[in-house]
Order: sequence, then structure tokens, then C-alpha cells
Amino acid sequence: MVSREVEKLLLKVQKPGRYVGGELNEVIKNKKDIDVRFAFCFPDTYEVGMSHLGMKILYSLLNEYDYIWCERVFAPWIDMEEEMIKNNIPLYALESGDSVSDFDFIGFTLQYELSFTNMLNMLKLANVPIKSSDRKNLKQIVAAGGPCACNPEPIADFVDLFFIGEGEEVDLEVIELFRKCRSENKTKHEFLELCAQIEGVYVPSLYNVQYNDDGTIKSFTPKNNAPAVVHKRLMKDMDKSYYPDNFVVPLVEIVHDRAVQEIFRGCIRGCRFCQAGFIYRPVREKSPETINAQCRALCENTGYDEVSLSSLSSSDYSQIVPLLEKLTEWSKDEKVSISLPSLRVDGFTDDIMNKIKTVRKSGLTFAPEAGSQRMRDVINKNVREDELLNTCSTAFEGGWTTVKLYFMIGLPTETIDDVEAIAKLGQAVVDTYYKCPNKPKGKSVRVTVSASSFVPKPFTPFQWEPQDTIPVLHGKQQHIKDSITTKKIQFNYHDADTSFLEAVFARGDRKLCRVMELACERGFHFDGWNDCFSLEKWLELFNECGIDPEFYANRRRSFDEILPWDHIDYGVTKDYLIKECKKAYENTTTPHCRLKCNNCGAAKYGEGVCFEKRKNLV
Amino acid sequence: MKNVRIWFKKDYECRYISHLDLNRCMLRALHKSKIPVWHTEGFNPHPFATFPLPLSLGFRGINECMDVKLEDDDYSYEEIILKLNQCLPRGLQIFKVTEPLMKAGKIAFANFTIKISDDKTSSAVICKQLSELFALDKIEIEKKSKKGIKTVDIKPSIKNFCIDEKFDFAELNITLTAGSTDNVNPNLILSALEKYFSVCYDSDITRNELYNSDMEAFR
Repeated sequence: MVSREVEKLLLKVQKPGRYVGGELNEVIKNKKDIDVRFAFCFPDTYEVGMSHLGMKILYSLLNEYDYIWCERVFAPWIDMEEEMIKNNIPLYALESGDSVSDFDFIGFTLQYELSFTNMLNMLKLANVPIKSSDRKNLKQIVAAGGPCACNPEPIADFVDLFFIGEGEEVDLEVIELFRKCRSENKTKHEFLELCAQIEGVYVPSLYNVQYNDDGTIKSFTPKNNAPAVVHKRLMKDMDKSYYPDNFVVPLVEIVHDRAVQEIFRGCIRGCRFCQAGFIYRPVREKSPETINAQCRALCENTGYDEVSLSSLSSSDYSQIVPLLEKLTEWSKDEKVSISLPSLRVDGFTDDIMNKIKTVRKSGLTFAPEAGSQRMRDVINKNVREDELLNTCSTAFEGGWTTVKLYFMIGLPTETIDDVEAIAKLGQAVVDTYYKCPNKPKGKSVRVTVSASSFVPKPFTPFQWEPQDTIPVLHGKQQHIKDSITTKKIQFNYHDADTSFLEAVFARGDRKLCRVMELACERGFHFDGWNDCFSLEKWLELFNECGIDPEFYANRRRSFDEILPWDHIDYGVTKDYLIKECKKAYENTTTPHCRLKCNNCGAAKYGEGVCFEKRKNLV
Repeated sequence: MKNVRIWFKKDYECRYISHLDLNRCMLRALHKSKIPVWHTEGFNPHPFATFPLPLSLGFRGINECMDVKLEDDDYSYEEIILKLNQCLPRGLQIFKVTEPLMKAGKIAFANFTIKISDDKTSSAVICKQLSELFALDKIEIEKKSKKGIKTVDIKPSIKNFCIDEKFDFAELNITLTAGSTDNVNPNLILSALEKYFSVCYDSDITRNELYNSDMEAFR
């Protein structure tokens, strides 16, 4: 619901439907009945934020409670932001139209590091003080969660509390504590101290950090009874875990405009660059019956004619074929198509192909990640070239003519031959098409090769690795470009400048807070968008603050250095990560969780794949 | 198989969505409602729906329509209204279902109510400017099209108009040529005020009704 003042601006901006709410299934409550107001903020545009599954789950979950009203807030695009500032309109929530500053909780989900500035900018647009210490009262509690909360340090000065791990239970526990503290007239500080006692809550203001002369961390000390290590939360039984039967259905087209059904959490693979593959361990599956029922309810309640099965590496779902059989029993009659967005090269079988083809044919994307076998062994991708080519053959014979391949450059130990192998693999896929006897007649093949730049992330075996410098990355991009000789391959690459900044934020420490604060003052926003991002301006800021960004991005860290995120525990032990890092340098792979338990540490949660019976043991 | 014309209002939040988005919303609602409408038979089967005359983003529409093909000739119109409304946001509401009497190509005129206001200008002044504008022999404005900018005279496209001075806005009721060949967007009236009087007013535009060339209401 928008005010008359906002309505006056709407016809001056692009896609005004993003700023009005009023969608099917939006939750409207009577303010009089509400005890706790929660502004769920996604620090990017409506189209991006509305595509995010975590927000849909938590929005519905919080709104199940009569006394909580959870509303949605997105970052206005630059034209709308300008109009709002010009007309003195503070950032508002879509459901009530009320200013974000009126809320008890202002929660952010942090999906990518480059959205940090948007988070601060949104607080600024809401006239909420950005620094935690400047918000003195027990309201406007700024909370943050999501994968980027795994290294909260670069934004430690701004966020009152972080949710570590999965949010379904811990959010509610914190809200309950808040109600209790407010009724007992406790201060914000007292509330935060009590919060820190809840498992999965990290309160950065309760820790002191000291640094060595070389800038590395000397010590990290908790105070006021805060725990020395904060352990992540996770949902143990996915079948009993809350899942919405309804999504808000946007009026305007969004990035992923379809129903999304989660099928499992975690990943068995352990690719060494992949943060998600480690922080969501262990793998916990939903049963096909649960998925089928949830999927059907979602389609009925939203009207979507497409549902995508969401997880990391979907083809690793242990009962994928029975599941697809169950789904296609009704999906064909209801004209609903099923898509599997995260398929592994070795998981694309005839069975799966025929099932996802029944109603609608979507594009095919595979991620070999590296061009040479040696490089794929280093990153533990466990995919062979012949597997990829066989899979492509299967797809071509099934009528597909376009394939997208994702790669990374700048991986540890990479040589120029490994880089060149990316172009060669693209060519091999093109050749496979022409060798295919049953390829679609009279059609040409199109192979898209995309190369992003490797960003070392916390909680991965590569967390100690230096990132390639920008000039080195540019050289590698150019080399691939020069090595491609056919027009059937389209080559895209990701801007190295943004990857550099991402690497700085991903493994940064509290010293970066000053840079973030200044960035917010100077109006930095939408760093993930080419329209707004400027590395030059960022380098100026770093320079002004006396901070060397290469210290964070391009420096090799030693195994015994205290890392900024060492006080946070995601289940996988540091010893295991060190072991994996050493194996990478020996070009040695590690079998996935279903083949063999490698004792990563995640078994301590007592659930999931760690306790499945392995086939070779039966 | 039977053609039906579904009449709806486009208002509130939904006035801010484009025609393409409206199309998507309607298709999703048709899908969700499970009303037996005919689906296209290509690679991407979807309910077949056409809109006789799209409405610009930002306008309210109180007599908008969409044509679909019913697979069950005996399906009740009340059922369509009831079921579809349960599947639509509050800004899009169905109020009538009829058999189409005219083809979309017959649309020749559209009638609009335009509320024009400004923080600093009285409605009397706005009304006076409107009268002066319509008294001109030619109302020439620059119209941007895909082929570039060209100057058009919209005076011949005005079928009739009526100016009414309200307390805090001027209300203009105007009928303009519409349809696939010569469509005049009422926003051009605001552009004309801007050009001839150097003013920039707020406007609130509602499309009331469509007509054929004999000024019979489109049904």
C-alpha cells in the first residue's frame, strides 16, 4: 500500500510496479494486533529479491504468527532512489507502506558480498543510523543472515546480531527474547547480551579484536559471557521443517518467475572452491512424498505453470527418478513444467532428460568449472571429459542444440595450459555435435562458454589462497578469447574488477568497516551492477582509509594465521579444510559423501547423509 | 468452443503494471482458476487470451476486456467471475462476462477522465488553460515513435471534450481516436499543456469506455 506522495513519483520511474506491493498472496495484517514488526530487507532490486527462496520461506513462516507482521523491503533502483531523496520519502515496506524506521527488526539477507553497500544505503534511505552503536534503543534491531554472514567482520560495526546457519528456528527464538526483554524494560545492550546465549546468534559488539603489526589478527576475545565460538543452526529433519504452500506472486516479471521447490540442503560433492558445498553440510533430503505434496500445493496456490526443483547439484537427489515420475503424473495434465536448474554433467541421464522434456524444453547448462582434467582434480570436481561429451551427445540426440558451459579462471595452481583447455573443451563439445548421428536436422549448434574469476571464500579448502591479480586475470581471459577459433562458441567472461572487490569483502576483517561507512556516506550502491560499480572509486576509498585491499585479496595466508571468521563454526573442521587444501596441491581428489565418509566434522549434527547406509557397505 | 469477453477493472497497485505484465497476471490467474479455456498448442502451451485494446501503464481502466475461448460451452459466466477473482490481485477484478458482439478492429474511439492538478496552480487556472488549448486551430505536439520524432496535430483526433472545475483539480472528460490505426494517448494533452503554457501538472487518467466509429459502446 503506497502513500499519495509515493504515487506521485511512480509515473516518473522505470517499472513502477516494483514499488507498490498489492500482489496476490501478500500478507496484510491489522497493526493493532501486532506485537513485533519485522522488515525483511533484500539488499537488491525487487526482481532479484523476489526470486530468492529463503525470503519466501521466512516471510511465510514469520507471518504464521498472529503477533508478528513480516513485510518486504527492496532496494529502490537508482531512478526511484533519486526521486525518494528529492521528495523526502524514506524507504518503506511494501505491505503497509510504513517507513522502515518504524520497525522493531530490520533484517537483511546477505546473498553476495557486493550487496553490503546496498544494505547500508537502505538503512540510510530509511533514516536509520547505520552504526549499531548509534542505535541506542530497543527497536530498529538490525539483523543479518545468509551465506555472507559466515564472515560477518567487514560489516560488524553496523549489524546488531547475525544469524549463523539456517534461520527457521533461531529467528523466532530471537523475536521471543525481544518481546520478553521489551516487556521487562530491558535495554538494547541487555537484550543483545542475552541474544548471544542463543545458539546460532553472533553479536559482534561483544568481541574485542587485536591485531599484529603486519595487520593479521592477534586475538579475538569475547566479553560479557558471549561464547568463544558461535555454532551454526540447521534444520535436522527436512520433512518436518516449515515450507510455505504459498508464495507472493509478483505483478511484474522477476528474474525467476516460477514456483520453487526445495528438494534438499547441502551437497555431497565437496568441490574445493565452493562455499555452499561446505557451509550447508550435511546433506539433508526431503522425501519424494513431501516434495510432491509441497510442489503441488505451491502450483495450485500461485498459478505458476513452471516449478523448478531447487538444491545444489539436483541430480544428486538420491531418488531423483522416482521423484520425477511422481511429479510428471500430475504435471502433464495440469500443464506444469518441471525444471532442474542445477544438474551435474554426470547426472544428466536419458531418464531425467525425458522427464524434464515432457512439457517444456528449457536450456541446458553444465559447469565443468575447469578445462583440464588436472585442474578439475585440484578443485575436486570429479567430472571427466568423456562424461561431459557423453552427456552433450545425449542432449543433442534428445533435440537440444544449445549448451552453456561454466568455467572458472584463476584457480590455485592454474597454468596457461589449463586456461587454454577451456577453449579446447568448448571445441570438443562442438565437434561432438557434428559427430552425433541423430543430431537435430538442419540446425547449427551453439555453445556458450562463460568464465568467471575465482574468488577464495571462507570455510573452503581454498580460504588461504591468494586471488590472481586483475592483470593476470585479464591475460587469462584474453588467452581463451584468442584460443577460440569457431563462431559456434560464444565466449563470455565476468568482470575481474568486481571479482577483486568481492575477494576483499569475502575475507575481510573489521578494519574494513571504516571503508564501508565512508562508501555509504559517499552514496555507493548497487556494486553488483555494472551501471554503478567503479573499482577506481573504491581504490580511492581504500587509499583514504590507509587500507591495502590486496592484503585481503591477493595475499597467501598461512595455515596458523587467525582468520577473521575463525570464531564461527559451520560444522566442517579447520583441520579437514587444511587436509583438503594439501590434497589439492597433490592433484588428489576426495570421494563424495555417499561413497565414503571423509570425517569433515559435519557428522556431529547427527543427521543426514552422514548416517545413510552406503551401498558398498550393505 | 465459445468465445467470451471478460470485463475487468485495472486499478490500485495494478495500474502501475505494463500491458505485458497484465497479460502474464491474467494467464496465471486463468491457469490457477482451472476454468476450461482453450490453450495454445505449440511448444509452450498456455491459455489463449487476447486484449482488444491495451491500456497504458499508469492509467486506471474501469471497462477493460480480454477475450478467451471456452472449451465448455455451458460453463457459467458467474463461475468465471467468481473463480477468476479468487485468483487475481485486488487491483484486477472481473465484473462481467459477455459474448463478444464487436470485433476488436471496430474500436475507433476511447473516452477518458483526466484529473489534472498542481500544488501551486488553482483548478480554475488549469481549466482556463485547457479551454484556451482546445480553442486553438491546431494542437501540434512532438510524438516519439520507433521511426523517430514527428510533429502531429491532435486537434482532429478529439471527438468531444468537457472541462469541469473541481475543488482541487480540473476534470477533463475527453473522447479521442483509438484503435490499431490511429491511437492518441491522452498523455499528449498533458504534453500539449506543457508545450503551450510551460507547465508540468500531475495527472490521474482513467479510461472509461471504448466506442466504434458510430460512437456505440464497444461490446
